[in-house]
Amino acid sequence: MPLYMCNAAKGIIADAAKPKIAEDVTRIHCAVTGAPPQFVHAFFVEDAAAPPLGDKQAMLFGSIRAGRTDAQKAQIVAEMRAAVAKHSGLALDAVGMMTTDVPASWVLEGGEIMPEPGEEAEWLAKHGHHAPAE
Amino acid sequence: MIMCNCVVQAGQISAEIEAALRDSLSDFSQRRFGAPAEITWLAIPEHSGFTASQPSTSSVVSMRAPRIMTRDEREPLLRELCAIWADNTKCTLNEIVGVISDPVTE
Repeated sequence: MPLYMCNAAKGIIADAAKPKIAEDVTRIHCAVTGAPPQFVHAFFVEDAAAPPLGDKQAMLFGSIRAGRTDAQKAQIVAEMRAAVAKHSGLALDAVGMMTTDVPASWVLEGGEIMPEPGEEAEWLAKHGHHAPAE
Repeated sequence: MIMCNCVVQAGQISAEIEAALRDSLSDFSQRRFGAPAEITWLAIPEHSGFTASQPSTSSVVSMRAPRIMTRDEREPLLRELCAIWADNTKCTLNEIVGVISDPVTE
């Protein structure tokens, strides 16, 4: 966690674009939140039931840890939509994005419960990561 | 029924292991939540899953609990759920994301 799931109409996002989008998704999430990259997942599916495309050609749905600010989430959405548009060649308004908050205590990853907001530094130190600069 | 969503990387889990995993997950759901699991299985196509920007071997198993749980109640269930996945698939815990969410209250 976070898990970013990108659904698109069949063939809209070329295989060659997927690693570039995944790299940008990872970079943006880590830059905005300070999270370590090893927890950032970016998965791509086509014509799937979820996330629903609606009137979009690509939809990115981020399940992110609860506790991020509205400003952080707005920055994630703006920058990731732009990244998907850039690498897929789609117009920006053809790319949708939503996020949902997932309480950290609901998730076990790498054998550990994710840290709650405010517990990151202690958790990162305990697990051998460096705390992000504030 | 207990909603259970499984996301795996295509080609990572054989049909035999998937069948065994489905049985184990439904057994877990019955024992811990009192109802069998309604399992949705999604395989991410090859070259379409990434973790830390690299090709992913990660799986996600997510269950929706029928009741609101405390952290102390949820954590051992998460550990059991991930252990079931690891035992069946031989994946490491670093490759498993386990989620047990509260019921939707809206």
